[in-house]
Formats: sequence, C-alpha cells, structure tokens
Amino acid sequence: MTDGRVGEPPGSPTPSLEARSLTKRFGPVVACDCVDLTVRRGEIHGILGQNGAGKTTLMNMFLGLVRPDNGEIAVNGRPVVIDDPFKAASFGLAMVHQHFSLIGPLRVWENMALGEKGRIDEGSTVRRVRELAERYGLDVDAHARVDDLSTGQRQRAEIVKCLLRDPDVFILDEPTSVLTAAESVELFRVLRQVVQEEQRAVVLISHKLDEVLHATDRVTIMRSGRVVVERPTPGATAAELAREMIGRDVSLRGDLSAAVGHLEAPVEGAAPAPAGVPPVAKGRPVVLAVHGARAVGPDGRALLDGLTLELHEGEILGLAGVEGNGQKALGDLLASVLDLREGTVEVAGRRVTPGKAGAMAAAGVGMIPEDRHVCGTVLDMSVADNLVMGDLGAVSNRGVLRRRKVLAAAHRLIEEFEISVGSVDAPLRSLSGGNQQRVVLARELARSPRVLVASQPTRGLDVGAIEYMTARLRRAAAAGTAVLLISSELEEILELADRVAVIHRGRIVGEMARCEVDIDRLGLMMGGQAA
Amino acid sequence: MTGLDRASGVADVVPVPVPPAPGPSLSSADDARAARAARARSVAGTVALYVVSLAAAFAISALLVALTHGSPAKVFPAMYRGSLRSFGSLGYTLDNTGPLMIVAVGAIVSTRAGLFNIGQEGQVAVGAMTGAFVALKVHPAGGPVLVLALLAAAAGGAIWAGIVALLRFWRGVEVVISSLLLVFVAEQVLFYALSRTFLLKEHGAGGATLTESDQLSSKVQLPRFGTYPHFNFGSGLLIAVVLAALVGLVMTRTTLGFRVRMLGHNPVAAKHVGINAARLGTVALLVSGACAGLAGGVLLTGQAYRITPTISNNVGWNGLLVALVARNNAWVAIGVALGFGALQAGGGFLSTTGVPTDLVNVIEALVVLAAVFPPALQEVLRRRARRSQAVAGAAA
Amino acid sequence: MSNDVTTILASAIRLSVPLGFAGVGEYIAERAGTLNISVEAMMLTGAYAGAVGSSVSHNAAAGFLWGMAAGLVVALIHANFSHRLQANTFVVGLTLNVLALGLTNYLLEKVSMTPRQVGVWKVPLLWHIPVIGKPLFAERWPAYLLIGIVPAAWWVMQRSRWGLEMRSVGENPKAADVTGIHVNKRRRQGLMICGVLSGLGGAYLSIAEVGTFNSNMTAGRGFIVIAAVIFGGWTLRGTLGGCFLFGGVDALRLALPALGYTINPELLIAAPYVIALLAMCFFAKGLRQPAALAQPFERGAT
Repeated sequence: MTDGRVGEPPGSPTPSLEARSLTKRFGPVVACDCVDLTVRRGEIHGILGQNGAGKTTLMNMFLGLVRPDNGEIAVNGRPVVIDDPFKAASFGLAMVHQHFSLIGPLRVWENMALGEKGRIDEGSTVRRVRELAERYGLDVDAHARVDDLSTGQRQRAEIVKCLLRDPDVFILDEPTSVLTAAESVELFRVLRQVVQEEQRAVVLISHKLDEVLHATDRVTIMRSGRVVVERPTPGATAAELAREMIGRDVSLRGDLSAAVGHLEAPVEGAAPAPAGVPPVAKGRPVVLAVHGARAVGPDGRALLDGLTLELHEGEILGLAGVEGNGQKALGDLLASVLDLREGTVEVAGRRVTPGKAGAMAAAGVGMIPEDRHVCGTVLDMSVADNLVMGDLGAVSNRGVLRRRKVLAAAHRLIEEFEISVGSVDAPLRSLSGGNQQRVVLARELARSPRVLVASQPTRGLDVGAIEYMTARLRRAAAAGTAVLLISSELEEILELADRVAVIHRGRIVGEMARCEVDIDRLGLMMGGQAA
Repeated sequence: MTGLDRASGVADVVPVPVPPAPGPSLSSADDARAARAARARSVAGTVALYVVSLAAAFAISALLVALTHGSPAKVFPAMYRGSLRSFGSLGYTLDNTGPLMIVAVGAIVSTRAGLFNIGQEGQVAVGAMTGAFVALKVHPAGGPVLVLALLAAAAGGAIWAGIVALLRFWRGVEVVISSLLLVFVAEQVLFYALSRTFLLKEHGAGGATLTESDQLSSKVQLPRFGTYPHFNFGSGLLIAVVLAALVGLVMTRTTLGFRVRMLGHNPVAAKHVGINAARLGTVALLVSGACAGLAGGVLLTGQAYRITPTISNNVGWNGLLVALVARNNAWVAIGVALGFGALQAGGGFLSTTGVPTDLVNVIEALVVLAAVFPPALQEVLRRRARRSQAVAGAAA
Repeated sequence: MSNDVTTILASAIRLSVPLGFAGVGEYIAERAGTLNISVEAMMLTGAYAGAVGSSVSHNAAAGFLWGMAAGLVVALIHANFSHRLQANTFVVGLTLNVLALGLTNYLLEKVSMTPRQVGVWKVPLLWHIPVIGKPLFAERWPAYLLIGIVPAAWWVMQRSRWGLEMRSVGENPKAADVTGIHVNKRRRQGLMICGVLSGLGGAYLSIAEVGTFNSNMTAGRGFIVIAAVIFGGWTLRGTLGGCFLFGGVDALRLALPALGYTINPELLIAAPYVIALLAMCFFAKGLRQPAALAQPFERGAT
C-alpha cells in the first residue's frame, strides 16, 4: 500500500488545526487528558491508538459534538469555540463519516445540499458535485438515491460532501474497514492529491499500524486518553509504533498483531503454525455444513448468493472479507434471524430450519454476534437475566423461574469467565464493553456448543479484552468446538485460524490452509478477483 | 419489530436508576454514602415536582371554573363528596376503578411485548357486544351464563385485537395505526348491532326506538357487595384485582413473562434465543384485547346492565392513559386507576353545583399532563447526563 | 339526475375542505416523523375558537384567525411535551383530544356566543358550468384558500431547504443531526404548522360550513385525516386524494337515503378507516412510510 510520500516539507508554518491541552471528562472517566495535537497544511496526520484511547472523543470535540472541559482548539493559529457541526464547518473542519451522514431515500445531490445554508439550487449543486468528482477521480452519480449505492460509492459520496464545504482539514475515522484493498489504495491516492495540490490537511484516525505507516506523514499516538508520542512517520518501524500504542513491548508475532493491525508479522511466520493450534482438521467430522445458501434482504438485494462452507470439529475457520459482503447475513443465518430462499444448513449431520426462532441455538450453534447490543444481549435486563436467557429451562421449574437457580447459574458463569460486575441484578448496560462481551461468551460457551460463531468478536475492545477473547476462542477449539471466526481484520484471522476462507458478495470465493496463505492472493479474493 | 412499535411503547417502561459510568471505581464507603444522599435528594425532588405539577393542574381547573362564573369553592368539595367522602361515594369510585384497571393491565402486557396497542376503546366495545349477545340470548339466565358472558366479552376483545395482530404479522401494518383505526370501525359495528333486533336491538316498546338493548336479566348481573349508601362495590373490582395480581406474577416470575419482556426489549436477541416474535406478540395482543373486552363485559354486567353505543364511556382511552401514566408498572397503575376512578365519581356530583360534568374531562386531561411532565423532564435531564457518559463509553 | 350529482359533488367538496386543510398540515408533520394524533383536538379547538372569535369580533373572517391561533396553541403544547420533553407523543395526543372535547363542551355551555358564517363566493362565469360549476366554483370563500395553500405546501416541502430538512428528519434523524440539522426543532415546527392548518380546517367547519358550533363537532374527522395521509402514501397528492375520497364517502352517506338507496350508514362511516387499513395491507409497496415515523429522537441516546 505504498503511496507517493510527501517529498516536500509541509507548507505554511501556521498549523491548520491544533488542540492545546484539550481535556474531557465523562464522570470519573477521563477520555482526553491534556491532549496536544498539531496538524499542518499539506500533511496527512495519523492519530493512532487502540480502542479506548480517546481518538473519537478528540474528533467529536473538533466537530462540535462534544464540548471540552479544559484547553482550547485553534484553527490557523486562532483559538475558536466550536458549538455544533455547522460551526465546525464554518471553521473549515469536515469529517468523512462512516455510517451516519447520508440519508437513504434522498438523492446524492440532496444530501450534498443538506449541509449547507441558503436556497437550494439543484443545478448548481449537481454541477459542483460533477466537478469535484472529475477532479479527484471519484465516481459519484449525483442523481442516484443513496439507498442504491454500494458501500464504496457511499464513502466516495461522503468525501465529495466534505469537499463541497471546501474544508481546510479533512477528518477520516477508520475509513478502510469497509473498503477493499483496491478501494483503500484509491482512497489514499485521493487524500494525497487533496493534500498536495490544495495544501489542505487530512487527519486519519486509525487503530491499524499498516495504514498509518503507509499513508501518513506524521503520526500522533494516543494511549488511555493521553498523547504519548508525536513523530514523523518515515523511519518509524511497526514495532516502535506498536510499543507506543500499547505501552509495552509487543511481540508482533503473537496475539497482539491482530490488535494493532499489523499484517506483515503473521505472514512472515506463515510457515510453522503457532504452537497450540491443532493441525488442519480435514480428517475430523464435519459439524457445520452450509450448502448453496441464498438469501435476500428487505430491499430485494441479495445477501447470500449460493454460499457453501463446511466446518470441522475442533478447527478454527477464519472468514475473511471486506465488511458488507455477506458476513452479517451469514451471522444472522446462524443465529436463526435470517431465512433462506434456497439452500440448507446442517449441524452434525442434521438439517436445521433457517429462520426458525431458536433452531440454530437448539442444534448447538453458539453465537457471538457482530453487534452485541442488537443481537446478543438485552441491555436493559440484568446481568443475571442475560446470562440465563439462553437456557431458561435450566433455571425454571414448569414455567416458573426459580430465583435461586438463576443466581447460582449466574454466579457460576461470572466466576468462570471472570466477569467484573457490581451486582448480578445490575442492568447489563452498566458493564464495560469488554465485560458485556464476556457475558455473551459465557452464555454461549456454557451450553457447550458444537459450533461457535464469533463475528467481529474483538471489535471495540481494548487489548486486554482482546487477549482474553482470543485465548478463549483457542480453548474452545482445543476442546472440540468448531469455531467460525468472521472478521474484517485480516490480522485477527491470520493469527487464529487453521483455515482461511474469503467471502465476497455473499459467496465463498476461495479457501486455503493457514500455512498456504498468500497475502496478495487473499487481497485479490477479498476484492472480488478470483485467484 | 417495526419502528413504530418499539419506539412508541418501550420508552415508557419503569425507569432504571442511572448506572455509574464504566470506569475506575472510587472509594466505596464515601461513594455509597454520596450515592444514598444523591438518591434521597432525587426522590425528594421527584415528589416535589409531582406535587407542584398536580397542584398546577388543579389550579388551572379552578381558574377555568372561576373565569366562567362558577365557584371553585363549591366544585372541588362536591367532587370530593362524590368520590371519597362517604362510603357510598367510595363505592362509586371503586366501581369506576375496576374496568380501568383491567384495561390498564392489558395495555401493560402488550406494551411490554413491544407492541403499542392503543385500540382498547374499540376492544372494550366489541367485548361488551359479544358479552351482551351471550347474556341476552342464552337461556336460561343464571350464574353460568354470567360467567359465559364475561368469557365471551374477553373473547370478543381478543378477536378484535387479533385483527391487529393479523395485520401486523401477516402484512407488517403498524400496531399503533391499525389499533387506532379499528376503534372507529368498532364503534360502527356496535351501532349496526344495535340497529338490528336479531342482534342487539331492544325489543318491544313500539314506536320509540332507542339505540340500546334490552336490559339484562338480574340473574346475569355481577353480584354486588353491600348497598348504597353504605360501603358497596361490585365484584368487577375483585376481578380487576385478581387479574392484576395474576398478570403481575406471570410477567415477573415465569418464563413466559421473561420471554415477553425480552421480546419487548430486543426482538432480534429474542429471536436468536428461540422466541417466535409473531407467536408471542400475537399472544400479547390477544391478552391485551381480552382484558379490554373483559372490562367491557364488566361494565355491561356490573354497571350498565344494557348495552348502548356509549357503553364504553371512554374506559378504553382512560385505561390506556392509566397504563401510560403509570409507565407500565402494574402496581402504580392500581393507584393511578383509583385516581381516575375518583375523578369520574366526583364528576357525578358536579351537576349539583351547576358546573357541566365536562369539567371532569378537563381536570383529568390536565392531571395526565401534570403526571407526564415530571418523568419527562427528569428523563431529559438524565439523558443529557448519560449522553456525555455514553459518548465516553462508546467513543473513547 | 345531474342535479343529484351536483348536489352530491357539492356536498363532497364541502365536506372535504376541512379535511383538506388538516390533511396538508398532518402530511407535513408526518413527513417530519411525528405521528400526530392530536389533529382532532386541533380541529375541534379551531372550530370552537372560530365560532367564538367570529362572535366576539362580529366578523366571520376574523374567526379564522382565532381558529388558527387555537390550533397553534394545541400544537405548542403537544410539540413541547413531545419533542422537547420527550414525553410519549401518543399520551400527549390522546390527552389533548380529551382536553379539547371537555373544554369545548364546558365552554359551550358556560359561554354564550352568536357565531357568524362567511359568505359564499361565486367565481364569475365559471360557476355557471353545468354539473360541476356550482360545487367547484360557488363555495364559501375560505375554501379557495386551499388553492393557494396546496401548491405552497408542495413547493415548501419539495423545493425549499426547510422542506429538505423536514424530510430528512423524518427519514434519518441521526444522520440529519450529524449534518447539523436541529431535529426536534424541525419536528416542533411541523407540528405547529399542522396546528395552524388544522385549526383553520376546524374553523371552516364552524364558520363556513355549518354556521355554528356544536358539541363534538369534528366527530373523529381528525382521525380520518390521519387515515387519509396513510392512504395517500405520505404524499401530498395522495393525502388530498384521500381527503376528497373520504369526504365523498361522507357525502354519499348523507345523500343516498334521500335518493332512495338504503345502505347501512355505519358501513359508510367506517369506510374511510377500512379503506386506509386495506391500503396499508395490500399496497404496502406503494406506501413509503417515513422511516423514522413515530420514533422519538434524542441526540446521543443509543
């Protein structure tokens, strides 16, 4: 992913955007602690940090969504107060949002017009959109409905929307998680052009080392709300950056490479599989078989398009792919939430009816869903409720819940999985993200499932929680559970999986054993070019 | 689960105390003491807010009376006399409370399941109709027929709510909209039934045609305890209490109740765990309709003794309001239903003061607004505080 | 025969006009995401205020201003409870309906008035056209306000920035919020416009159509308006079509017995609601509901 690196020094000496001792507290938690940031014209500035480091809070302050408690923000050297997104835009700050900024039923040009003020002029808006699209090589149809766009097209539209405001500073938040490798390259090319030709600045927020190493000129590393280092990127090594990001020396060959988004180390260690992982279990019985699955979403678009895969006892199958290619649908299918038009699902040789409430769980499929708030837990019910909800029969007697049994079951799981809770009756909402994920894990593993589907299991977790989750998944596999690891983080997959499959547009486009993995080939498959 | 259902109902479940922000915990003893003090302050604050709010509602009503040449000094005592002063009045209050409670319990069930049924008024009417049909047409009249009539009333209400369930789970029509529109359809069905003698129209009385049915035989009327002016109430109240207790227990102590609550909170997670949203949701709606229908039956056999187009007398709307004001908490609903019942009973005495009984509706509406104001205000303040914490938790 | 048609047509138009005013208002409110069930209250208070206002000021036309103001007051209460205090919008709406009915009945008894009625305005020449001339061009003059209001509403919602923001707030409030649009403010504004227009519709009932105020004059018209918006698939054209259709059904109900046909009146009264329900059942694809309809919005609440 190397790109034209900036050869000339950044332009004007006055920084475009600065944070000076910015502090923000939420209750007892200090999200940002005296953060200093200097972004200069003509540079792509990375903000690197793991989940929980404070990056997004910092950005929210720049965008006027959150007010800082202390410190100040300066634009072109002048201190400013940013009350709301309109104000931020007026100071030349614009953010390329991932999910929340485009409105589906409206057309692209209408969305563009939304962020501005004054009379609406369709003709002029469309014209400006076309000009920008041409200038930067961003293929965007101003008259299309946003609902009809693909994810890559949506992001391009978001970028154009930003460019329309003629910002001085572009902020992007984890932009590549929804893009293929090819699209990511394209994105960085555009950013480089924007930065160089027009002497704007780009702030790239990421938790991925590779992205930062290859695309940025300078990097500010945050950890636990503080800035730990700010330095030029050329000359930095992955190991150095990782150490600053995590706070201790990191073996990039170990579990943490996934956490820091570093791709090369696991690949280097490709030949011998990491110790403790059983060899590819081709000889073992098949516990999960999905054949020719076809499913359609409410808008008519195909979610799964003839997906076929098999999972063996005790193996970890990593399903790689860019987000939005059917992973969520596959997860929903295995959680009994999605019905199939065609195709079958068999667990341990027995057919399971797709879309029938609870059928998968009853057949022995455990599920750690992609978004635990939506599918895995009920935030407003208590921790105990969430722990027992998978198997009410075990804690009740002829339909009547037995409180003692509920408490016993809950305490047992809390102990075994080291979940940190105040009271077992506290609402699940009050737990931290890592602990909530443990609750889900505990509940699912408690039923000794034959198959465990882990969908983006470490997303949003800090390194400690990631380590725990990874170890647990390994343990489950070692005990004979077949694990299907669905992840958009290639590093995670390469770290854990025995076998890797790639999903693209709702079907499996390639499979290989871990030791055969070739990064380039994987990338091509993920991008849709069959290898 | 469609957006309307979730959004309209679930927000009203009993508020959970604000959880501390996830993060390093502070010294526990000081923390606990500070937390207790804060809670005490907030409880006191809440009570004060309610008192002020309700006082404002009554003040506005008094102002209205005064401005229209009435005398608040006569009106309020009259209402008190009519509702609570004497045992006889208390009996009236309790009579009114019964059906309200029954409707409210049903509304709570469906709201907890995430389905916001607001068609109780129609379900009450249909229930009264089917109950009247059985009570009038099944001979010989007697105790068993009374029971049968009440069951028929419940069934009628359930069927009417069943239409809502059918439309929702077969065609995806929002429960809020369909239940609302069906209220007006039910009104017309009742009119029709009352215009046909083979259905419910009154027999005989040649010439004068009133739209009402025959009187129920005294054997098919709900027994009463005591007689006016001593303390007296109808067995409708007993039915209400038993039903409320039953539903309360089922909701909190059984797996069925657990599943219903789960469905209301998070239908996707519920499906994953094996809860069939269509089946359980339909059950919840049927129960809700059955309760409303039963209330209609109680009105019929316990108070009106004949069916008229206005048999429901807004019990459906008011019962729904009771549930909403009580924020879907069955215990609080009992108290709120009593309040509403007292208001209406008090209204009965208003005519002696020369003030139109419509004043009761005005006071009732103002009281509901006053009851809705404090929790709404507090929720907004709480969410503002939690918003900062949520942003931290999600974003940092 | 043509005389009958003329009469029925005239009746249909007369009955549709108040629905039309309120329909435009409710359309705007619902496109912004509020399922407003206090339309009944807005219309009823508008009707009463219109009658009282025309009586107090000895001027029928002034009554309309009173009616619009009354509707606005109801809307203000609803909007602030629902979209500022985040109270459940259905509770507030239902309660306002009860309040409106109780208050207007109470005042009707206690406060005497002599309401006025506005005059009919005959469009010169056009009203001589056979069959449709009188119904269309010889109405009470406030009906012609619709001719101005409807295109204005269309233009505002479809062509202006404010309308774009209203529509986006009804489809995706979160995205709108992030773009810097004040979601709840727009929703309040939608409700207020609905209040003004519904009050106008109610006033039309009392000062133009009937000439006086009767207890519970609107008799559920507010809910018919809601049914019309649904039937019309949340488009302005469809809403007005629904209002006219339901007005026509009402006219038929009144006319048919006189013409010698016996149809159960209950069937015709219930027809609008049944039609709307059937439309939702079987034409779901054509009816695109605003995605965030009836979903309260609070910034930052997950």
